[in-house]
Amino acid sequence: MHAAELLQFVIAGLKNGSIYALVALGFTIVYAATGIINFAQGEFYMLGGMVSVFVLGALKVPLAVAIAGGVALTVVVGALVERLALRPRRDAGQLTLIIITIGVSLLLRSVARHAFGANELSLPAFSPGPSVMFMGAAIERQALWVWAITAVSVVGLWLVYEKTSFGRAMKACSISHEAARLMGIDTARVVALAFALAAGLGAIAGAAVTPLTSTAFDVGARIGLKGFAAAILGGLGDFRAAVAGGLALGLVESLSVAYISSTYKDAIALVVLLAVLFLRPQGLFGRMAKEKV
Amino acid sequence: MSLLSVHGLTRRFGGLVALDGVSFDVHEGEIKAVIGPNGAGKSTLFNCISGFDAPTCGHVVFAGVAVAGMKPHAVVRAGMARTFQNTQLFDEMTGLDNVLAGMHAVTHTGMLAASLRLPGALREERRSREEARRLLRLVGLGDAADSQAGDLPHGLRRLLEIARALASRPRLVLLDEPAAGLNTAETRELADVLYRVRDGGVTVVVVEHDMGLVMEVSDGIVVLDRGCKIAEGPPRLVQKDRAVIEAYLGEEPSDDV
Amino acid sequence: MRGRDSYIAWALVAAAAVAVLALPLLTSDRYLLKVFTFVGLNAIVVTGLALLFGYAGQISLGHAAFFGIGAYASGFVTTKLGWPFLAGLALAVGLSAVGGLLLALPSLRLKGHYLAMATLGFSEIASILFVEAKPITGGNDGLSGIPYAAVGALRFSTPQANYWLVWGVAIAAVLAVSGIVSSRPGRAMAALHGSELGASACGIDPASVKTGAFTVSAGLAGLAGCLYAHVLGFVAPSSFALDTSIVLVAMLVVGGSRSLAGPVAAAALLTLVPFADSILPGLSPATVAFLQEWKGDISGVVIIAVMLFAPGGIAGVVRALRGRFGGPGRPTRAGAVSAGPASVAEEEGSAV
Repeated sequence: MHAAELLQFVIAGLKNGSIYALVALGFTIVYAATGIINFAQGEFYMLGGMVSVFVLGALKVPLAVAIAGGVALTVVVGALVERLALRPRRDAGQLTLIIITIGVSLLLRSVARHAFGANELSLPAFSPGPSVMFMGAAIERQALWVWAITAVSVVGLWLVYEKTSFGRAMKACSISHEAARLMGIDTARVVALAFALAAGLGAIAGAAVTPLTSTAFDVGARIGLKGFAAAILGGLGDFRAAVAGGLALGLVESLSVAYISSTYKDAIALVVLLAVLFLRPQGLFGRMAKEKV
Repeated sequence: MSLLSVHGLTRRFGGLVALDGVSFDVHEGEIKAVIGPNGAGKSTLFNCISGFDAPTCGHVVFAGVAVAGMKPHAVVRAGMARTFQNTQLFDEMTGLDNVLAGMHAVTHTGMLAASLRLPGALREERRSREEARRLLRLVGLGDAADSQAGDLPHGLRRLLEIARALASRPRLVLLDEPAAGLNTAETRELADVLYRVRDGGVTVVVVEHDMGLVMEVSDGIVVLDRGCKIAEGPPRLVQKDRAVIEAYLGEEPSDDV
Repeated sequence: MRGRDSYIAWALVAAAAVAVLALPLLTSDRYLLKVFTFVGLNAIVVTGLALLFGYAGQISLGHAAFFGIGAYASGFVTTKLGWPFLAGLALAVGLSAVGGLLLALPSLRLKGHYLAMATLGFSEIASILFVEAKPITGGNDGLSGIPYAAVGALRFSTPQANYWLVWGVAIAAVLAVSGIVSSRPGRAMAALHGSELGASACGIDPASVKTGAFTVSAGLAGLAGCLYAHVLGFVAPSSFALDTSIVLVAMLVVGGSRSLAGPVAAAALLTLVPFADSILPGLSPATVAFLQEWKGDISGVVIIAVMLFAPGGIAGVVRALRGRFGGPGRPTRAGAVSAGPASVAEEEGSAV
C-alpha cells in the first residue's frame, strides 16, 4: 500500500474518530453526572442532523442558522428527556434507568420517523469546494469542519469544567451526589445541564457529519453503540479518555477496512466493544471500581 | 484442636495496613467476640475469613482446611456462614424464601429435576420448608415467614439474616454487629438467640460494639486496634486490660454503648 | 404461595391452557390463528427471558440473536442438508444454548449497563453475520422453503396444527420454568438479583447461576426460533434485529419481574396490539388508522409509561392488589404480629 493510500485511510479514521469522540463525550458527561449510561445518546446525534435539515427546508434560513436551530432544538429535547422521563425516577436502580433511556431512544426514533419520514436526508457542505490535498491524500472540506468543531467542543468543554462553577459542580456530582448536595450544589440542575450538554454535543456531531454521510431516523442505534465503544475504550468518566478512545476507534476501524475488508466494517467497533468489556472494562485509561462489603 | 485458627493474618490496601499479623483461635462450642474501636479492622477480618476478601498474607484454617482466598460460596460449603453489617437480605422475597435460599449449599435440586417436578425434588422442597420454618421459630420469627423481608423492621431483619446463615447448617457463624440498631428488649432477645444457637452445636464469632451484650454472652474476647490484636482472654480480664482501656478512651463515644 | 393460593393459581393456569388450546376449535380464520401462533412463539422466548432478566436480574438486550440462531440452524439443516425436523430442533436448541453459554462466560463480572452493552454488541454481531454469511443464511433474502415441522409420520401442515404445536410447546415451557422458579434453582436466581453478596453468603455461586440462566433462556429462544422457521416457512435477518430484542425487553418490563404470568400476558398484549384492527372488529376507522401508523412504535412509549407509572408491571399491580385484599400483617416484635404500625406500649424502655 502506498503511503498516500495509507494516509487516506488514516484521515478517514481520524474524521470518523472525531465524530465518535463527540458522541463518546456525550456518554461521558451524562455518566459522570449521574452514573448511568444514556442509551438515547445516539438519537441526539440523529436529531441534530434531522432537525437541521428540517429547519433548512422549512424556514429557508442560511445553513449556519439552520444548524444552530437544529442543535438548539436537540438541546431542548435533551433537557425535556431528563426532566420528564428520568428525574421522576432518579432514585430507582440502575436497571430501571437503563430501561427508561432505552424507551426514550425508541420514542425519539419513532417521533423522528413520523415527523421527518423514513428517507435519507442530507445537508449541503458547510463550505462548498474541492477537497484539500495534503501529502498526496485528499481531505474533504467537511472533514476539516468536523475536526474544527471537535476541537472547539473539546476545548470549550475543558474550559467549562476547569474554569466555571458549573464545571466544579459537575465534578462534585461525579464523585458523590450526596456530598455535592451537602455542599449546597443543586444536583438536579447539574444533571439537567449535563443532559443538555450531552444532547448538544451529539447534535453538533450529527449535523457536522450529515453533509458527508446523510442521515435518517434510524442512524442513532449504530452510532450510539460505536460512541459507547469509544467511551469505554478510553475509560468511562474521563473526557480526555473519551476523545482518545474515539480517535483510536476511528483509526482501528479505518485500518481494518484498509488491511482486512470493508464488509465487516461495522463489526469492528462491536468487536472492540466486546473486547474491552470482556478483557478490560475500565478501558485504556480508567481504573477498576471495587465493591465494598 | 481449635475449630477456627487465624494465624498472622495481614491485609494491606496499598499503603494502608488494615490487618497486621492478627492471630487467634476459636474453639468448638465457644461464643467468641471480636471488639475494638472504629477502624480497628474488624470487618476486614470477617471478610478475609469468609472469603469476601483475600488476605495479603497469613493463614485461616477451618476444621483442618485452609480457607484463606477461597470464594465466599466455597467457604459456606466448608461450614462457615456469616451475616453482614449492612444486612444483605433479599428484600423482595419472603422471610421463608430468604431462609430457603440459605439452604442452597445443603440441598441439591437442579434445574432439570425442578423443571420436571421429580418426586425427589418435591420431597426435598417439602423438607426444606419444614427446616426453614423451624429456623425461623428458633430466632423468634415464626410469624414473619410470609412477610416480605423488605417490610420487616430493622431488628427482625437482623434476626432473619441470622436464621438464613444458620440454614446452611454451618459449624461456625460469623455475626457482624448483630445488635446494631437494636433496642434493649431486642438485644435481650438476641442474647437468647445466641445461646440457642450455641446450644444447637454452632460455634459463634461475633463482632460487636454493644459492650453489655459482649460481656454477658462471650466466653472469650479478642480486641483489635488499628489492625493489631492488643488483647485476648475471658471478658473479665479483657475489661480491665490497660491497653484496651486506652484504645477505647482514644475514640469518640458511640451512641449505643 | 401455599395452600388455597396455589390451588387458585393452578386452576387459573389450567383454565387458561384449556382456553388457549381450544381456540382452533372455535375459529378457522387462518390469519387469526397465525397471529395467535406468534403470541405463542413470543411466550416461549419471554418465558426464558423472564428467567434470566425477571428472576436472575441479568439484562439481555440481544435475545433476538438466540431466536435467530435457532431459526437459521434448523432452517439451514432441514432445507440444505435434508435433516429431519427433530434433528433440526435439537441442533437449534443446542446451538443457541451454547451461544448463551459463550456469551455468559466472559460476561460474568459485568453488571448493569456493561452487561446490557455486551449483550447488545453480541446481538449486533449476530445480526451482521446473519446478513453476511450468505452460504448458510441466504443473506438479506434469507432462507425460504423451510419444510413443515414433522414428527415421524405426523406433519404440521395446517394453521391449526402449527398453532397446537407452538402452544403445546409454550405450555410445556411455562410449566417447566415455573417448576424452576418455585424451587431451589429459581430461588438462587432471585437471591442473586436481590443481593449478590447475600447470595454468595448462602453458598450460591453467582457464576454458575448466571451461566445456567443464560444457557437455559438462550436455549428456549432457540427453540422458539426453530418453531418460527417451520411455521413461517422462511426466515430473514430483519426478524432477528435489535428491534425484536427491544420488543422482548418491553414485554418483560410490562410483565414485571419475578413473574411468569406477567411477561406472558404482556407478550400477548404487545404482540396483539399491532393486529388489534384485525382482531377487534368494532374499532373506529380513526383508531385503526392510528394503530396502523404507530404499531411499530408502541414499545418505546409503553416502556417509558410503565417505568414511570407502574414500574412493577402487570405482576407488580397484581401483587399490590393481593396485598390490599389480604395477606400477612406486618410483624413488629419477634413472635408478635399486628396489622398496623407498632404500638408504642408494646416496646419496653426503647432506646433513642
